[in-house]
Amino acid sequence: MAEKFDSLEEHLEKFVENIRQLGIIVSDFQPSSQAGLNQKLNFMITGLQDVDKCRQQLHDITVPLEVFDYIDQGRNPQLYTRECLERALAKNEQVKGKIDTMKKFKILLIQELSKVFPEDMAKYRAIRGEDHPPS
Amino acid sequence: MMEGFSSLFAPAEPPPPLPPGPGAPPGVPTGGGGFGSNKPQVTGNPNSTVPGPPLPPPPPLSMGPAGDDAARRSPSGPFYLLRDLPGLSDLTGSVNLIVHYNLEHSFGKFCGKKVKEKLSNFLPDLPGMIDTPGSQDNSSLRSLIEKPPICGNSFTPLTGALLTGFRLHAGPLPEQCRLMHIQPPKKKHRKHKRNPEPAPPETPSDSDHRKKKKKQREDDPERRRKKKDKKKKKSRHSPEHPGAASSQSGLR
Repeated sequence: MAEKFDSLEEHLEKFVENIRQLGIIVSDFQPSSQAGLNQKLNFMITGLQDVDKCRQQLHDITVPLEVFDYIDQGRNPQLYTRECLERALAKNEQVKGKIDTMKKFKILLIQELSKVFPEDMAKYRAIRGEDHPPS
Repeated sequence: MMEGFSSLFAPAEPPPPLPPGPGAPPGVPTGGGGFGSNKPQVTGNPNSTVPGPPLPPPPPLSMGPAGDDAARRSPSGPFYLLRDLPGLSDLTGSVNLIVHYNLEHSFGKFCGKKVKEKLSNFLPDLPGMIDTPGSQDNSSLRSLIEKPPICGNSFTPLTGALLTGFRLHAGPLPEQCRLMHIQPPKKKHRKHKRNPEPAPPETPSDSDHRKKKKKQREDDPERRRKKKDKKKKKSRHSPEHPGAASSQSGLR
């Protein structure tokens, strides 16, 4: 999985470095550096072409839109991953609590129904194939 | 957190045994009020407690396609709305899903320790000020998705004629345009002192002595050389020096 991203990462790093150098040339421009600037501009275009080529390898990768909100706000996108995991854990615990409660309720209901409707509950058990109490 | 979570997902205590099915407890009527077929039917809404004339039993609810419904329905006998229990293989929230999907490592990595808040901590090598909101300088990714730029599908290199548009004037850019040079301030790492304990109060003589020693250490080789030179000069000019004495005597 990680190998898929290696070439993209490499191209992006080169692209960023090229842009940085371009910024340095432009920030204090000298007429002699026009040739270098032209070269950097064309490097930028080839860099974009390289990044575009990586699309084919990554067509099955999906990115949640919420991550972009984190990046746009200047926040670490790993915080989104952390929040997702914490939310999943909380929901998992909540659902488990509900399931456990329902199981207990079922046991109690069967207990009480067996007291009042023993024959029916025997039939119920026969249908369910439960000789032993449900877990 | 995970420990608490694991304990929560520990196998539950075995449920209490059910009372035996057939055989009514003393004092409980077995014939009436039940929901079996051999009893006076409680018809209509089974939840309804309002007494009324007996209604025909409701048709079984169709939750999906008829074939599927028939397949799911078990021979329920006197019971209706009785469906198959979910299989044990069905994945539910009763299991620890983080463990199930082998995400303990990721959980420990992101939730175990503190994740730094700023984007520059995630991308430390990226030049420029990246911690400011993208909406300020119109560089947000969201706007790129919502309003994609109108452009062609391919990237073509710039030819000579096109590059003439990038001829720049000589000279530095104004300060407000130099975005690439602004970097987020990085925290300086404090050097750990070897002796964290406060030093005992020094007497003036002590401190003077130490200062002197330090000075001596600092310019030791030079001082030595100078001293040697001085000594040589002194010895040359001193009356005890044989050479100097002879020269003096010679003059006389």
